[in-house]
Amino acid sequence: MSGITIALAKGRLQDSSLALFQHSGISLPDGVLDSRRLLVEDNSNQYNFIFVKPGDVPTYVEYGVADAGICGRDVLMESAADVHEPLDLRFGYCRLVLAGRPESAERGYNPLVAARVATKYPRITADYFQRHGVPVELIVLSGSVELAAVLGLAHHIVDLVETGRTLRDNGLVVIDTIAESTARLIVNRASYHLKRMAVMGLIKLLRDGLQTAGQPEVIQSQASPASDRIQQ
Amino acid sequence: MSSSLSKIPPGVQYIFDTEVRVRRWVERQVMDVFDGWSYSEIILPIFDYADLFALGMGKIQAEMTYRFTGRDGKLLALRPEMTSLVARTVATRFRESHRPIRLSYSGEVFRWDEPRPARQHEFHQIGLEHVGSDRLEADTEVLIIAIEALRRVGIEGFMITLGHVGFIQGIAEKLELDAAARSQMYGIIDRKETEEFDEFLRPHADEKTREAFCRLTTLSGKKEILTEAKSLIGNERSIAALDDLGRVYGIAEAIGIDEHIDIDLGDVGGLDYYTGLTFKIYAEGLGTALGSGGRYDNLLSQFGLSEPAVGFSLWLDWLAQLSAARVAPTLPGSNNNVSTLGANGDLASVFKEATRLRATGTRVEVV
Repeated sequence: MSGITIALAKGRLQDSSLALFQHSGISLPDGVLDSRRLLVEDNSNQYNFIFVKPGDVPTYVEYGVADAGICGRDVLMESAADVHEPLDLRFGYCRLVLAGRPESAERGYNPLVAARVATKYPRITADYFQRHGVPVELIVLSGSVELAAVLGLAHHIVDLVETGRTLRDNGLVVIDTIAESTARLIVNRASYHLKRMAVMGLIKLLRDGLQTAGQPEVIQSQASPASDRIQQ
Repeated sequence: MSSSLSKIPPGVQYIFDTEVRVRRWVERQVMDVFDGWSYSEIILPIFDYADLFALGMGKIQAEMTYRFTGRDGKLLALRPEMTSLVARTVATRFRESHRPIRLSYSGEVFRWDEPRPARQHEFHQIGLEHVGSDRLEADTEVLIIAIEALRRVGIEGFMITLGHVGFIQGIAEKLELDAAARSQMYGIIDRKETEEFDEFLRPHADEKTREAFCRLTTLSGKKEILTEAKSLIGNERSIAALDDLGRVYGIAEAIGIDEHIDIDLGDVGGLDYYTGLTFKIYAEGLGTALGSGGRYDNLLSQFGLSEPAVGFSLWLDWLAQLSAARVAPTLPGSNNNVSTLGANGDLASVFKEATRLRATGTRVEVV
């Protein structure tokens, strides 16, 4: 293995990430994404890509197993990983919101009683309620968080919203936007110095790539559907 | 065995066999290098008053200590670091001693921490403090010692990044930021978030200044970045910091260790503690720094003696991990070079023979 290793998040951000690399002149051999290989080298043999679950990208990078990675700011905030974040890649926009049933939005949360909140983001949620001085009871779920508010398991949910459709379809409303998220390039602190030339080269390539790609939609529309097969 | 007996508290470790031999070897090598530069070892208490550490490392950091109450009702803490203990000792017991004072230490420190990558609650620090000189000689000396120690234990492909507190503080002063804004800015610079930094600077500076500051705080590399930095910055404090960095780097070049040194102008680690030159040590095979140090001219005044000081520490756990593969085979193992004696028959003659062999330095095992 030569060069630097980049961890990519499977799923939501994968196609746009690969499209940005393609646009920046870093391409993967044909068909490699159709295989089940988790570690692939690009055509120039300078970059190794690993495909991991989105929440694991900061972990791989913080430990230095991967020198760099691409993941959403939401995931990064939740992990609180100690890494550099030199580039906002601008695609993969979504919001992390506090949501609930319409009547809960009108009432707001009663600051004297612990709010019961279901989420996949316990750290961000706890921070948010702490900032507002409201005690919080966290219910940590791994998916379909909306259901918790619909069925009354929790008063509120904190979850990622792209279009807001899932919330609407389930009769929920946004109460507050906690954070906005886009994809970030993150870099391991040791790699930043030990592989300085390669890391700087990567940052420059992607920054230039972003500039010539213009709007994030361009990257998103260029994304190839072939990579859908690498899924969790 | 009941589960409470087999359960190990998070963050502590049991170390045995080859790992112990590697660690002890590495520790001896590093302490020997320190001794070679006339640093004398000081053995420090495992616990002391909690207030001492709050004074030394700041209230927030001191929250991470393991604390307990002494029989006299006073709050005690397991040592989370060594420098506060050394500083207090120098400010009291060594008040009248000849300067500079050179002290080294080696031992476990204890910090409560959220579960984070590769972070134990108990880990072993080896380090030194040079007290009583505010000159670049002292800064350069500790840097050179760090490099000698790393080379001695056979760590290759390491990089020391040099920074200077004065550089970033010069920028913060220029922008006339209050304490909260400063701390926000240091966080952004620390994560190297270029776009956020530009956004942050918007209310404080014009476009040209913003562009310059964004470039400056991500500058890292060899000597030439100092020239570029100087062309972009105007405040005296930052320029003085660049001059200091240039002089230290110049000496490093002259003695041929500059390949191991990069300048990192965006280093903001420990800004509330350090006052001048700072450095961090990285090595191939490790995703995190294996040591760090710098100048801390304000610490001793917390203990009633205003004196400059500079020092650094290395994590033995990381050093041993990086050296293990190369060092372990060269160390005498538990099972080789051993004379085995059977403990059957006349025990007196068995142990007489064992004692004779021991006197010649032979390793024995009575089975």
